[in-house]
Amino acid sequence: MNIIKLKIEFFNMTFTSPFAQSASKPGHGSIVVALLPPDTPVLSTISYQYPLKLIAPDPLPPPESDFKDKTPAPRLVHTVFLLTYGGGIVAGDSIDLAVRLDAGTSLVLLTQGSTKIFKTIDPSLVSRQQMTVAVAPNSALVYLPDPVQPFAQTAFSQSQIYNLENEEGSLCVCDWVTSGRSARGENWDIYEYRSRNQVWTSSTDANGVQKRRLMLRDNMILDKNGQTGIPLSDRMDGYAVFGTLIIRGPVFSPLSKYFVDEFEALPRIGGRNWGDSVLPELTPKEQRRADRQQREKIDGVVWSAASVRGFVLVKFASREVEGSRNWLRDMIKEEGSILNSFGERALLCLK
Amino acid sequence: MGTTDSDQQSLEDEIADLEKRLQDAKSRLSPSTAGETLPPHANDAALHALLLLSDSALPLGSFAFSSGLESYLAHHRPLPPSASQVPSFYAFLRLSLSTLASTALPYVLAGYRNPEDIETLDNDFDASTPCTVARRASIAQGRALLTVWDRSFKTQYASSPRTTNGHAETLETTGIAGVEILSSFSTALRTSNHLNAHLAPLWGVVTNVLSVPLRDSAYLFLFSHARTVISAAVRASVMGPYQAQGVLAGAELQKRIRGLVEEGWNVRVEDAGQSVPVMDLWVGRHEKLYSRIFNS
Repeated sequence: MNIIKLKIEFFNMTFTSPFAQSASKPGHGSIVVALLPPDTPVLSTISYQYPLKLIAPDPLPPPESDFKDKTPAPRLVHTVFLLTYGGGIVAGDSIDLAVRLDAGTSLVLLTQGSTKIFKTIDPSLVSRQQMTVAVAPNSALVYLPDPVQPFAQTAFSQSQIYNLENEEGSLCVCDWVTSGRSARGENWDIYEYRSRNQVWTSSTDANGVQKRRLMLRDNMILDKNGQTGIPLSDRMDGYAVFGTLIIRGPVFSPLSKYFVDEFEALPRIGGRNWGDSVLPELTPKEQRRADRQQREKIDGVVWSAASVRGFVLVKFASREVEGSRNWLRDMIKEEGSILNSFGERALLCLK
Repeated sequence: MGTTDSDQQSLEDEIADLEKRLQDAKSRLSPSTAGETLPPHANDAALHALLLLSDSALPLGSFAFSSGLESYLAHHRPLPPSASQVPSFYAFLRLSLSTLASTALPYVLAGYRNPEDIETLDNDFDASTPCTVARRASIAQGRALLTVWDRSFKTQYASSPRTTNGHAETLETTGIAGVEILSSFSTALRTSNHLNAHLAPLWGVVTNVLSVPLRDSAYLFLFSHARTVISAAVRASVMGPYQAQGVLAGAELQKRIRGLVEEGWNVRVEDAGQSVPVMDLWVGRHEKLYSRIFNS
C-alpha cells in the first residue's frame, strides 16, 4: 500500500515538473531533486538531449557528522555529472539545463574534466550554455566543477542563474576559466568569453504580488572591446586562470566565515619582517595556514574575499591552473564542513 | 547751368565711388569682425551644469579614491625600485577606464534615460559590485552627489522652468519629474536598508535633471574618473603635475573616452560586467596593503 502511494507520488512529481517538456529539444536537460515523505531525497527527474549528457551515480550517505542536531539532514547525497558528448562544446552548440532542488534536499553537481570549448570558424557564432537552478528554502547546492577551458579562436557565453525564495537556500558554487591549452602556447587567444552568475530572490508581498529582486550578478566579459589597445593576454596580467566562488546560506556559513577569516589573516602586502620580534610558537592550525600561504606564494595565487549582501564572494587567480585547483581544495578541505555534509565526492573536480 | 550739371555729375560720381569704397572696405573687414557679434549659444544651461559637475572642487570626495591604482602599484613593484612607474601607470589607466565603461557606464546611461528606475538600478548595481572596496568608493561618492544636489542644486533646478535644448533624449523626461524622483530617492535612502546610492545611476539621473546632454554626461563621467586616477598618480608620486595635465589633455585620452562612450551606448545594464577580471583582485586586495594613502 505504502509502496503504491510512493509510486504515485513519484509519478506525480515527474509529471508536474515544469521542465518536463523542455527535455525534447537538443541540448536541453532537467534535474529535479524531490523529497519523498517523510525525508527521503530522490532524483525524481533526470532527462537530457544530445549534446548534453547527465550521469547520476548512486547517492552516498554523507560521512559521520553531527547529524544529531535539530536540522533534519538529508539521508543520502545525490550527485549528477554534467557532461557533453565529445568532452566539450562545439561551435554553435547550445546547452540549457534546468535544475530544481525541493525543500530539504541537497545536490552535488560535478563535471568530468574541464569543459573544453572548441574552435569556431566564424567569431560571431557563439556557443552557449545556460543553467537555471531553483533552490528551495532549506536546500543546498554544491557546484564545484572543473574550469572552463576555451581553446584559441573560440566564442562562448554561459549563464548560471540561481533562483531563491525569500533569500533562503544555500549555495556553494564556483565558476572558473583558464587561458586555453597552455601546453600548446595558447594564452587567452579567444575571440570572446562571457560568463554570468546571477542570484535572484522572489518573495510575495502583503498584497500577494510576487516580486523578484537581483541579489548578485557576477559577470565576466572578455572580448575585443574596452579601447585598451592591450591584447587580452596582457590584460590578464600573466594569470592563466580566473575564478569566482559564491557562498551563501546557513549550510555553508562555516565555510563563508573561514574564507573571510583567512583573507583577514593574509600577510600585508609590502609589509616587512624586521626580525626584531621573536616569532611565537605556531599552533598546528597556524602552521597549516603558514604552509598554505607559502604555497600561494610559490604558485602565484592571488585571492580576495568579500562579504556582501549576505554572500561571501571569493575571487582568485593564479599563474597556472593547478595553483588555483590546489588552493581551492586545500581551503575547502581545511575548513571541512563540505566534506562532512556532502562527502569527498563533492571535491572530485578539485583533485 | 552747364557747370551745375557737371558739378552735379561729379558729385554723383564721387558718391558712387565713395559708396563702392565703403562697401569694399566693409567686405574686407567683415571676416575678422564676426567675433564681435555675439553668436547664439545653443545650450547655455547645459554648459553651466557641465562646468559645475566637472569642477574638481565639486565636493564628491573623489580625491580620497585611487580606484585600485595604489594596490596595482603595490602588486607591480618596479625592478630596480628606482625605475619609473609611468609605463605601468599608463597601462593601469587604460584598464581602469575600460573597467569603468564596462561595469558602470551602462548604469549612467540607464539612470539618465529612465530616472524612474533609480531604485532598481541602484539595487542591481550594488548586486553587480562584488568587491567591498569598490562598493565603498561608489557609495561614498554617490551619497555625496545626492547631498550636493539636495543642498546646492535643488533650489535652483526645482523652481526654474527647464530650459529646452536640442537633444531629443533629454526632452523625453521632464526635469520636474526628475526632481521628484531624486527627492523621493533621498527620502527612501534614510529609511530603507536595501538602497545604497551608488554613483553611476545617480550621475545619470542628476545630469538628466541638470539638462546636460546624455553624451556629454557619459563623457564627463569617464573623464572625471580619468582625472581622479591621474590625480591619485600625482599624489602617489608616479608623475609630476605637469606630466599629469599632459596625460589629461592628450588626444589619446580623448579618443579613448569617445570610443568607450560609443561602444557602451547601447549596452543594457544586464550585460554590464567586468572586462578586466584582475581589476577586482587589485581593488579587493587594497585592504591588504601594509600602508595606504587612499580609500580604494
